[in-house]
Amino acid sequence: MGRLGFSTTESARLLLLVVFGVLALSVVLAEQEGENLSGLSDNPDKAIFAVRENGTTCLMVEFAVRFLVPYDVLALNGIDLITEQAAFTLPRGAEIEGKCGSTESEIQITWKNKAYTLRIYFDTEFRDKGIEVWKISKIQFVYDTSETSHFTNAYNPGKHTANTHHLLALVTPFGRSYVCSAQQTFTLISSDHQKGVTISMYDTQIQPFDIASDFIFSEPYKCITDQRERLEETLPLILGFILALIIVITLTVYHFHLKLTANQPQLPRDRSMYKNM
Amino acid sequence: MATLIRSKLSNKLSNAATTVSNKSQAKVSGMFARMGFQAATDEEGLGFAACDDLDYDHRQGMQMDILTTDEMGGEGSGEALDGDSHYQRDGTGPPNSASKDGDLVNELTEAKPKITAWEAGWNVTNAIQGMFVLGLPYAILHGGYLGLFLIIFAAVVCCYTGKILIACLYEEDEDGQLVRVRDSYVDIANACCAPRFPSLGGHVVNVAQIIELVMTCILYVVVSGNLMYNSFPNMPISQKSWAIIATIALLPCAFLRSLKAVSKFSLLCTIAHFVINVLVIAYCLSRARDWAWDKVKFYIDVKKFPISIGIIVFSYTSQIFLPSLEGNMQKPSEFHCMMNWTHIAACILKGLFALVAYLTWADATKEVITDNLPPTIRAVVNIFLVAKALLSYPLPFFAAVEVLEKSFFQDGGRAIFPDCYRGDGRIKPWGLSLRCILVVFTLLMAVFVPHFALLMGLTGSLTGAGLCFLLPSLFHLRLLWRKLLWHQVFFDVAIFVIGGICSISGFIHSMEGLVEAFRYNIQE
Repeated sequence: MGRLGFSTTESARLLLLVVFGVLALSVVLAEQEGENLSGLSDNPDKAIFAVRENGTTCLMVEFAVRFLVPYDVLALNGIDLITEQAAFTLPRGAEIEGKCGSTESEIQITWKNKAYTLRIYFDTEFRDKGIEVWKISKIQFVYDTSETSHFTNAYNPGKHTANTHHLLALVTPFGRSYVCSAQQTFTLISSDHQKGVTISMYDTQIQPFDIASDFIFSEPYKCITDQRERLEETLPLILGFILALIIVITLTVYHFHLKLTANQPQLPRDRSMYKNM
Repeated sequence: MATLIRSKLSNKLSNAATTVSNKSQAKVSGMFARMGFQAATDEEGLGFAACDDLDYDHRQGMQMDILTTDEMGGEGSGEALDGDSHYQRDGTGPPNSASKDGDLVNELTEAKPKITAWEAGWNVTNAIQGMFVLGLPYAILHGGYLGLFLIIFAAVVCCYTGKILIACLYEEDEDGQLVRVRDSYVDIANACCAPRFPSLGGHVVNVAQIIELVMTCILYVVVSGNLMYNSFPNMPISQKSWAIIATIALLPCAFLRSLKAVSKFSLLCTIAHFVINVLVIAYCLSRARDWAWDKVKFYIDVKKFPISIGIIVFSYTSQIFLPSLEGNMQKPSEFHCMMNWTHIAACILKGLFALVAYLTWADATKEVITDNLPPTIRAVVNIFLVAKALLSYPLPFFAAVEVLEKSFFQDGGRAIFPDCYRGDGRIKPWGLSLRCILVVFTLLMAVFVPHFALLMGLTGSLTGAGLCFLLPSLFHLRLLWRKLLWHQVFFDVAIFVIGGICSISGFIHSMEGLVEAFRYNIQE
């Protein structure tokens, strides 16, 4: 009985160890790793980030982002506060972390030793007629005004967080990637006296769900501005074709009109050509 | 007795004076003849004019024969009577001067209709009151009172050069009457270079005319596209698409056959221009309380004023159209009166518009005055401006077609290609297709040439100044040297010099502007 008891506790401990080991292994296996592929882009401001899970990509983001952050600076008189603007772009060498899910995803981009953090949250929604779409639900930007490379002489330096409120952007049908070369701007309200932080992204291609193959975007879905540009490009061609058609029809009608009304007496031509002999 | 002696003395003195002046004149003209200048009247031209009259009568007679054999109608005799009454040589010349250069042979029932002096006036107004009136307040901003003076002075000078250009078309015959021996600008140029280079002058003037007319047509397409694009920014139609739509609207211009139809368009264009003027002036008058009378300058802004000079001076260019207008008038004797009144009206309207608009906005006056207007009035003015641009297109287009057809499409081996017109005066289908090609060409240039306004300034300062100031004074001096009074010679030389200065300064500034625009584009 003692031997049995000992073996039971021993085996129980062993079992627990094995279970923990399996759990740890599964955590290691299921770990989502962020990859920075910015070296592949041709635009020096454009960054490419990917989050991989289970050996395949589950979230890919490709964009060029510009930040416009207002912060307070002490004026020369030492009393008043002036608002300055710091403008900078998302660097290509940032670190990525991300979480993928079937209905919710998130990507976290940090740089300068976690002095700046950009988090973008995606979720899905069912529109009427059963169409599923995904969209950005929230953008959060954390910045540290004591970081001297972009903020000079900030008053009361410290970390501030800027969030979006009621954001509905980049609405795309599920299973497709969002493409927009035009610029899109988001305004975030900062914890620093409710100042407005502006984030502009352009040359965008994003897909947070349902990526079919590794590192390859699914079918692209163009934003409205790009679609309009496409229309503006094709419209001159259509109009030019209509113009050519009108000319051809007019000439043909005139030709046949002349043929039908051709019987007029030939009048004597004038002889003023003698001047040029 | 004393009076008799006095009268005899005065007679002798006057005779002596005339013989002396004749001799000196003969010496001078002999000297000029040796240098290659024309020393005598164009006897040959006079002879040809007489032949043309006889030919016209002969053809009228033959037409009557055909009519009577075909229709046995009574109208034939009526035509013959008309033919006789048209044969006048009191400065009006034979009526169908258009037929001299191998133009349309008249149909029996539809002779090429003549235009009245009013219609010629609408055409000239179309040419001199163009789109550039919108830039005049900006010119006053940089030029002050000098700009206003320049508007009046340019009107006077251009009226004078127009009249001397038409004077070059006529020669005095042995009866002392003026006969119209030349028909177009090209003929005048050829006559001037007659002894040594019989056709060089004609080629130069031809090229200059074609460039100027085609550039004007392209400008109207560019302007209408631009105005429509700025009026409807929310529609997805780009400026190129608007230019194509404007060209579709202008395609019927290919069917224009006579100046009478063009005159109707010019009349509508003048009405649209008048409405624009009234709208803007009325709005400015409504703000009369805030007028800045003290802001009108006496000094000029040396850097920016030369461009304004270009805008003011070259907006009065109508000389290209004058020979054919005068040739198609029913009563060419009314030409001088028409020129005076159109230029006076243009001068008053432009001066009033520029001054009033400048006083309303003073230093805030923009380059194009419609940018200063409030949005509602701007929308209405824009619509009328587009209508004006589209209605102004037929005149330079018709003139360009005429010039091209005369130089390249004549029968009898005179030009490269055969005639565009059939025996009964109607245009052949391939002639019509050439006109359509010209319309499409203006569209393509409007769409694909960048910085068109600057390019137009460049060519305008060369061809425009040449055709409006330099060439008329030169030809006038050359052809009518023997009959000119000294003050006329002085005017001609002064206009030539001033025109040369304006042309060179305009050329330099346009080149600078173009170079800077291209450098900016490349840097972008």
